[in-house]
Formats: sequence, C-alpha cells, structure tokens
Amino acid sequence: MSAPKGAGLNAILEEESLGKAVDRALLGRLWAWVEPYKGKVALTILMVVPMFPLELAPAWIVKTGIDRVMLGEGSDGGNPLDALLTAPEGWAPLVWLACLFLVVSVTSSILTYAHMLLMVATGQAAMRDLRREVFDHIQSLHLGFFDTYPVGRLVTRATSDVEHVAEMFSQGLVALVTDIFKMVGFASVLFIVNPKLALWTFAVVPFLVIAAVVFRLKVREAFRSTRVLLARINATIQETVTGMKVVQLFSREARNLRDFEDLNGAHRDAWHKSIWYDSALFSVVELASGITVAVVIWGATGWATAGVIYLFINYMRRFFMPLRDLSAKYSVMQSSMASIERILQLLDTQPAIRDPEPGWERHVAGGEAPPARGEIEFDHVWFAYSAGDDEEDWVLKDISFKVAPGEKVAFVGATGAGKTTVINLLTRLYEVSRGRILLDGVDLREIPQAELRRRVGMVLQDVFLFSGSVAENLALGREDLGREVIRTAATAVEADRFIMTLPDGYETEVRERGTNFSTGQRQLLSFARALAHGADVLVLDEATSSIDTETEAMVQRGIHVLMEGKTSLVIAHRLSTIEDVDRIYVLHHGELAESGSHADLLEQDGLYAQLRRLQQTSSTLAHAAVSASSTTG
Amino acid sequence: MSTVEDYSQDRATIARNRRMMFRRLRHYVARNKTDYALGVFTTIVYAGFFVALPVTVGWCIEALAEGMPVEEVARRCTVLFAIAVARSGVRFFSRVRIFNAARQIEYQIRNDLFEHLQRLPQSFFFRWRTGDLMSRCVNDLTSVRLMLGPGLLSVAQTPVLLGATLAAMFYLNPKLAALVLIPYPLFILTSRAFGRAMHSSNLAVQVGLADMSNHLQETVSGIAVVKAYAMEGHTRGRFGELCEDLYRRQLRVARVNGAMPAVTSLLPMMGMWIIFLVGGQAVADGEMSIAEFFTFSMFNYELTFPIFIMGWVFNLVQRGTASVQRIDEVLSTEPTIADRPDPVDLVDPSGEIEFRDLTFRYPGSDREPALRDVDLRVPAGSVLGIVGPVGSGKTTLASLIPRLYEVERGHVFIDGIDVNDIALHPLRRSIATVPQDSFLFSMSLADNVAYGLPSTEPAQVLQAAERAQLAKDVAELPDRYETVVGERGVMLSGGQRQRTALARALALDPAILILDDTLSAVDAETEAAIQQNLAEVFEGRTVVIVASRVTTVRDADLIVVLDEGRIVERGTHQGLLARGGLYARLALDQAAMEQQASEALALEASR
Repeated sequence: MSAPKGAGLNAILEEESLGKAVDRALLGRLWAWVEPYKGKVALTILMVVPMFPLELAPAWIVKTGIDRVMLGEGSDGGNPLDALLTAPEGWAPLVWLACLFLVVSVTSSILTYAHMLLMVATGQAAMRDLRREVFDHIQSLHLGFFDTYPVGRLVTRATSDVEHVAEMFSQGLVALVTDIFKMVGFASVLFIVNPKLALWTFAVVPFLVIAAVVFRLKVREAFRSTRVLLARINATIQETVTGMKVVQLFSREARNLRDFEDLNGAHRDAWHKSIWYDSALFSVVELASGITVAVVIWGATGWATAGVIYLFINYMRRFFMPLRDLSAKYSVMQSSMASIERILQLLDTQPAIRDPEPGWERHVAGGEAPPARGEIEFDHVWFAYSAGDDEEDWVLKDISFKVAPGEKVAFVGATGAGKTTVINLLTRLYEVSRGRILLDGVDLREIPQAELRRRVGMVLQDVFLFSGSVAENLALGREDLGREVIRTAATAVEADRFIMTLPDGYETEVRERGTNFSTGQRQLLSFARALAHGADVLVLDEATSSIDTETEAMVQRGIHVLMEGKTSLVIAHRLSTIEDVDRIYVLHHGELAESGSHADLLEQDGLYAQLRRLQQTSSTLAHAAVSASSTTG
Repeated sequence: MSTVEDYSQDRATIARNRRMMFRRLRHYVARNKTDYALGVFTTIVYAGFFVALPVTVGWCIEALAEGMPVEEVARRCTVLFAIAVARSGVRFFSRVRIFNAARQIEYQIRNDLFEHLQRLPQSFFFRWRTGDLMSRCVNDLTSVRLMLGPGLLSVAQTPVLLGATLAAMFYLNPKLAALVLIPYPLFILTSRAFGRAMHSSNLAVQVGLADMSNHLQETVSGIAVVKAYAMEGHTRGRFGELCEDLYRRQLRVARVNGAMPAVTSLLPMMGMWIIFLVGGQAVADGEMSIAEFFTFSMFNYELTFPIFIMGWVFNLVQRGTASVQRIDEVLSTEPTIADRPDPVDLVDPSGEIEFRDLTFRYPGSDREPALRDVDLRVPAGSVLGIVGPVGSGKTTLASLIPRLYEVERGHVFIDGIDVNDIALHPLRRSIATVPQDSFLFSMSLADNVAYGLPSTEPAQVLQAAERAQLAKDVAELPDRYETVVGERGVMLSGGQRQRTALARALALDPAILILDDTLSAVDAETEAAIQQNLAEVFEGRTVVIVASRVTTVRDADLIVVLDEGRIVERGTHQGLLARGGLYARLALDQAAMEQQASEALALEASR
C-alpha cells in the first residue's frame, strides 16, 4: 500500500506543462490587452531600424581605420558611406573616425536602453490591465467555483502567471525576433563584404549551432525537472514544519529525513545534469568565437585585408552571442504561452450566476417596481452542489414555503439537513437547480445581485474580518455609510462598548483574519455590520462555537435588535433563541419535515417535540446538579 | 522582518556570530574540498589559456601581415585552434566542478536544516513563523549557493585572469595598457552600485507582488462576505491601486536592470575607443605592429566580462554571508529535547503516568506558569478526563506526557521512570496522541494511517481504520486507501480528518492514548458511534481525554478540573456534579447551550 509517489509530482507537472512556444490563437487573444498600447508597440518595432545599423557601425569604423589609416590601403570607392567615413578638412583621419566611433557607441547604448524601457513599460502596462481583469473576473464568479479552485492557484493566475506573460514582452518574443534578425543581419553583411571568406567561415557554423541547440534543449529538460523537484522540496519542508508536532509525536523523524534526502538528492542530481549541459553550452559558444578567429585568419590568407579580418572576428563574436540564450528565450516563450493559456482558461470560466440583461423586463404586468416589503417565497426549490443527476446529491428536495414581510422564522435540523443551503440560495450565492425563489414576488434571477444583496442582509456563522480598521470592517466599502451610522449601529448591538476599549477605538487595525478579537466580539461586529447596511430582509446563521455567558447574553440582545422590523430567517443551531419566532421549519434530509409555531410543533409531537424533551432532560440533569450542590454546600 | 531578528546585538555577539558563520562555511567547503581544489586548480590553468589566446591571435596576424608563407600561417592558426579548444575544455571542467560542489553543499545544508528542524522542540516553532523558516530554507540557501558557486568561481578566477592579462598587456605596451585600464575602476564601482540598486528595487517588486497577492487571497477567502455585502467595487478599487503601485515598482526595476546591459556594452566600447585612437595612431606611425593592435583589442573584449562581474560578485558574497548567518541562527539552536547520554529504553510499558509537584512555564516566556503544583497519578489501564475552561492548561498537561515541551527532571514519570531519562523514540512510540487540529499530510490515506509505523502494512491500516470508524468513509473515497488527501488531494470533511487522525494513533497500538479535544468538531452522531466503539479500544491502555464538553469525559475513571493551571477539582462525573463546583458549573452552562438538543436531533435523523 505504498503511496503513488507521482501523484503530487503530476499535479505540479500539470501546472507546469509546456506546449508550443508560439500559439497564434493565444497571442491573438492576448492582443486585446496590448491593443490600447499599439502606438507604443509600433514605436518599439520602428526603433529597431536605426538601432541595428548603429550596432554594426563601430566595427566597420575600426575596419576602415585599420585599412585606410594604419595600413594606408586607400579608399574602397566613392559610395556615400565612404564619404561619411572620410575626414573633413582640418581633421586628422583617425581622430575623425574615433569621434564617429564614440558618437555611434554612445547613441547605440542610449537607444538600446530607451528601447528596453519602452518595451517593459508597454508590456507591464498591458499586464497591469490584464491583472485587473483577472481580479474582476475572479470576483464575478459564483461561490461554487471557489469550492473547487484552490485559493493558491487563483493567486498564481494573477501573480506568477501574469509575470510570465510579462517576461514575454521583456525577454521573450521581441528579444527572440530581434536576435534572429541580428544573426541574419551580421551574416548578410559578412557575405556582402567578402563572400569567399564568409563562405569559408560559415562552414564551421552549422556544427556549432547544432551543438549549441542540442545542449540547450538538454539544459531545458534538466532545468524543468529541477523546478518540479524544488517545488516538491519546498512543499515538503512547509508541510513538515506545519505538522511538526505530529511528526515528533509519531517519531517519524528518521523516515522523513530518509525520504527528504532522496528528494533533495534527486534535485541535486538534476542540477548536476543541468550544470553539465549548461557548461557544455557555455564552452561551445566560447569555443565557437575562439576557433572562428583561427578559421578567419587562416582563410583570409590572400583574400582579405586586416580590416576585414577585424570585421569578421567582431561580427562573428556577435553572431554567436545570442546562441547562448536563444533557447532560454524559447523556454520563456513556452512558459509564457502556458501561462496565457491558464489565464484565458480562467477568464473563460463563465460566472454561473449572472445579473439579468440590462433592460430585462422585470415585471410581467406593470413597469413600476413594487415597494420593498421583504416577502420571501421558496417555490418547489431543488438544489444540489454538484451538477450530477445522482439522486443522493440533492441537498434540498422540493422545498416550498412563504415568509410574509416582517415575519420571523427559524430553521432547525441536523448537520447536513440543508439549513445553510437555504441561506446560500436566498442570497443567490448559489443558484437553485429547479424551482424558484421570489423576493416580493420577483424571481431572484431577475434582480441584479448588488441590489439583492443590499436588500438581504446576511450574518454568517464564520465571521470573516478583513485587514483594515474596525470601522472599515463595518462599512465594508460602502463610503456612503458615515461614521455616525456605523457608530449608531455598533451601539445598538452593544459592540460600541468593547470597540471603545480597543487601543485606537474604531481605527484599531484588525490583525490577520481578526485573531485579536474573541468569537463573541466578532459576532457583535458582524451584527453591527448587518445593521449598518440596513437590509430589509435578514438572514442569520447562528454561531455554533460556545462563548462565555456574559457575551452570550450580549449576542442574544444583539440578535433581537438586529431582527427588529425585518423579515428574518434564522438558522438555529441551538434552540433557546427561537421559541418566540413566528414559525419554525424542521429540515430533515433536505426535506421540510415539519413546520409551525413552537406550540404547534410541540402539540404535533413529531421531531421537534422529541427534541425538546431530550433537551429538557439534559437541563434537568444540570439543574439537579446545581440543587444538589446547594444542599451539600 | 521577523521578531527573531529584532534582538539587539552587541559587537561581541556580532563578532562571535561571524566567527561561527565562517566555521560553519568552512565545514561545508572542507567536506567538498576535492571538488574545490580541482576547480580552483583548473581555473588557474584556464587563466593561462585565457591570456595565451589574444597573444596567439596577434602572432597569427603577424604572420599574415608580414606575408609569411601560407604554411606558416596555417601552422600558427592550428596552434590558435588548439588553444581555443583547450581553453573551452578546461573552462568546462572548472565550471562543472565548482558549480556541482556548490549544489552539493546546498544539498548538505538543506539536509542538515531539515534534520535539525525535526529535532527542535515545539517551543521553537512558536517563536518562528513558518514563512521565516521557509525563507531560510529557500532564499538564504540560494544566496549561499550563489556565493559558493558563481561567486567562488569568480573570486578564484578574476585575480588570476586579471593579473596574467595585465602582465601581458604591460609587457607588450605599457603606455597603451595604462590608458586602456582607465575606465575600468569606474565601472567596477558602478557595477557595485547597480548590484545594490537592483537588489533593493527587486525587493520592492517582491513586496508589491506580496501585497497584491495578499489582497487577492483575502478577497477570495472572504468571497462570501464580499458578495453578501456587494463589496466588489471597493475591492476592485483597492486591487487597482495595488496593481498601479506594482507597475511603478516594476518600471523602477526596469530602469535599474536595463541600465546594466547598456553599461556593460559601453565598457568594452570605451576600451576599444582608446585602443583605436591611441593604438591606431601608433600603428600608423609605425611604433606598434598591427598584430599588437589585434592582441590589445582581443584583450579588451575578453576582460570586460570578468571585470564587470567583480562588482557583482562582491554583492553575491555580501548577501551570501548574511544568509549563512541567518541559516546559522537555525542550525545553532540547541535541540533542548534530546536523549540524554545513556537513555532508558521503555520496553512494553504498562502505561502508568505520574505528575509529581509539577509547575510548568513555557520556555522563553516570562508569563505566568501554564501549570502549577500538579500532583496526579494515573494508574495503568485507567481513563483520565481533563476538563476546564479555555486556556486552563489542559492541552499543555497532556503534551508533557510525550515530552513535547522541556520539563525539568523529577516531575513527569511514565511507569515510574522520569520522562527525561527515557529515550525519545520508544517513549513517543508507546504514546499516541490525536491532536486537536487533526493535521494530515498530503500522502495517501493508508500512509497517513500508518504514519507512525515503520512501513505501511495493509493489515494494520485496515484494523486501525475499522476501530476508528473510518472504514465506511474510505469505501466512498475515489481511490479507497490510496486516495491522496490534503493540499493537492481530496479534501476530507472535518469528521473524516479526525477519524483518520484517530486511526493513525490507534495504528501504533499504544500503551497510552491521548485524545486532545478530539471529538469536539465531529458531529454528534459520529461522536456517539465513536465513543461506543472507543470503550473497546481503551481496553488495556491508559487513556487521557482532554475535553471541553463534560459529556465527553463522563465515563472516565478519574476527572480532573483545571483552572488557571491548577487542579481545582478531581473525582468522578457523579461526584463532581454533586460537589457543585467548577465542573458542575461547566456542565450547567453546556446543558444550557443545549448541545444535547442537536445531538438528539441528529440521532433522530439517523433513525
């Protein structure tokens, strides 16, 4: 029963899978983000036109200097280039050439720098837009999506994946094209200058290029496995540190170390392989420029001047330079493409819950929206979290009920009976599978989500606090909620008292996920939140975790304040709060088993009544204990 | 960055740290001395060929310029060819040697770190955040490797190359050599400045990225709230700001990083300009040969890279030493819980536990003791229940039995032997804990159950799963016992996780079983089922149950009630209820909370 060792690795490989380096369809879609910057893109391409000759020029100037001035072989002819290289009156020929050399080199450097900046600025601006779109899209997705897509991967999409795409701009596509363009350029010039010598020189090139490409491919392969292994190493360390208590409790140290050494060793071996090929590549490129010098000089006997030899040596060196990282750029392209694909896949995920089309006629009969009253109706609602048709997956089965404006109802039932699902459906965080839910007679699907959620206030069991101040956590981005409104709401639910004891009152920073607040305090904060936002329907998921008696009393008072005058639906995990609600619904395996007032249900003598009896016995037991203690004490 | 680094260091400490750091580094380099010796030796050989090449080029050009016979030119070119091949070959060898050695050291340090971390006590992991430890194992290790690989290669190579080249250049033409060298020192300084600027602007981008991904992560984690309160516009605005900020930081990096290649390309240009202007004139005047001109221009280009990289290497070394020091902070932490020189082996223990006059304070904390004056004997085979309010020391007391924290001698005994005297492995092998958070590892379910066993044996796994009521869950998992759980695998429900953790403990067949508030998150239906079955499992073991619900410990042979680290009450369930103290009060509170109500409902539902 050994673990499938590859399982984790496969998952990583899947994340890292590489395909084509240039996928036209993907690039076409990427263009949508680049298009706003097309002027700058055009400029980037145009800049190459003056840059290339400037790069060719210095060696040409030196060649001219060697042949004409140093060796005095005279002018080649009367073309315009020669005219420029001929010193004007009053200038020593060499000084003139040296000045040209300086101007050309400096201009070339400045242009290269400007070109690079422009390229990065354009790419990063497009990426900034892409990032925003990814974020927007993530936010718009339905809640169910987040159950299946790990947070870490979503973060990766907006961070590393976008970074990879950006690399394509700075060092991938453009650089790749420029490099190839340059290599062809250097070769062409050499063939024009001295075809015989060029032919002779380039005879050795294919072997070197092939060697370089082969080694590069090997490096890439090895490099990829090092990345996968490193990811596994880091995941292992992280997991071991997080679970160190269990590691030590179960004396697993020796076995863990053995496994870790294997993994770590595989990583090292992958690197050794990578280093071998990488060094081979490095040496081949170095060798290439070394031996071409020998070949050029040998071949030049009788065919070329010293200046031409200089030109050949110089250009050949530049010809080989891009080879060293040509395929590194290819890899960058590959990983960029894979990233684009993953990002687009995410962007292609359609939000399952959408707002009605603008202009959608909301009301069959009249044009005017009815006044908000807060009436809720579930009309034969079926729901399953998974899309499958499996009979057993239904969480809610044919639920129908109606809550009149201002009524208070409660839902009770065992874990998994579907209580929380009722809330998720009512706020349209999930979509009903069959049937419909109506708010004031309007199908939820015909109400824009923002409007729906402004009207339906929700207090969740797990109170989520964002980093930021307490006040920000109450306002939750609603800038129209003034300090007064927030303060009033907090006071009403008795949260004001503890907030004022905090070091900075309402400006106190909430630490990572609100760890500086107790469960009770967090609940009071969430009540204040809901109250401040002034919804006319309230959905309350009672907290299950136990809190101290004093806070418990505050929480109970807070709930009452909160529910005042609102249509309220309470998901009850304890029964004490719900005796005075208008109606109680008992959910059992996704179906409505019983409903009625507290008294009705007791009379019915069904599930609810049985529940109460059991509850009674347990508190009698406790009471007995207390009375026993008072007699003995 | 981390609180650990905040302590102020006096000068003596710094000096001592540095000495220790060098000792640590020397230790690793010494372990790989053959590789390094060969690497350095070949580097010197390489320097010889490096200098020989431009000189040979001049020599070949000379033959050509002076119109020597074709055979002579060909002969000299063959020599040049041979030197080029030899140079690349030697370079290959030295690179492989030194880079491999650096990877080997990385491997060794990482193993040592991992091994050391596993030996450190829990108190260490309270003080250090996982992120800080990870950054030691990842970023710092990378810095150290870069220092010992490319860094060391350049440190060994550059002086040799530079010395040999300069000697050759000054020998050939002192005046020109001096002139050519003028721009170099300037460039070394600039490259150092660049290195620093690059490092800091790169850090700024990392921070920007981290801020952005934190915001995204928070939004996704709180997506239900975001949607429920229609906060999308607000979070979008914030994210937009963060993106804009990151964009600006990235442009700054581009400005700094991009200046680097611009400058590197300019440096040889300047050298060439001087050679061209001064050397060219000398050739025209007949004071210098064209061969020498070629040699100089070759030297100029070849030198650029090693010289420019010098400034770079300086930064590598600086960062590397800082990282060694940070790694050393972890490695030099003494594992305070370790076997004493001659430990007692615990053979087939009966499972008697005794706390004798125990007062315990978490190491390194100035706070009140977590436990005070605890005197308690748990006979072998009995069941002990520990209850008390949150923070009363229940979990702490249970953690001292398997010696998770440092406890002084003479306070905690198993089978009458001080836990400090028992060898750790047999001690922990005979005690099994089901921890509160039921942490599982991302491996198959079978491997998780067999976590404490020497190997994963199907029979043992099945038996343990059966006892922990896990077996019926397993039947529903996609790959049964081979289902990978955790991070990248199937997410188990809270109850399934706890039953897996329970199975993992039972697989050890322990003499002492500790349930640390294990059943609080399991739904009542399952708790009832597990408890029924547990009676069977408890047979013949000493059991310690830590609980927040009094019902959980109802059947224990002895219940102790902790409050602020003291045992305030002890007795049986009935006895304690009758006493009407803290225990009775807890029972009342919990009954009032009607936990039983939902249990009853669940039971009803299951019928």
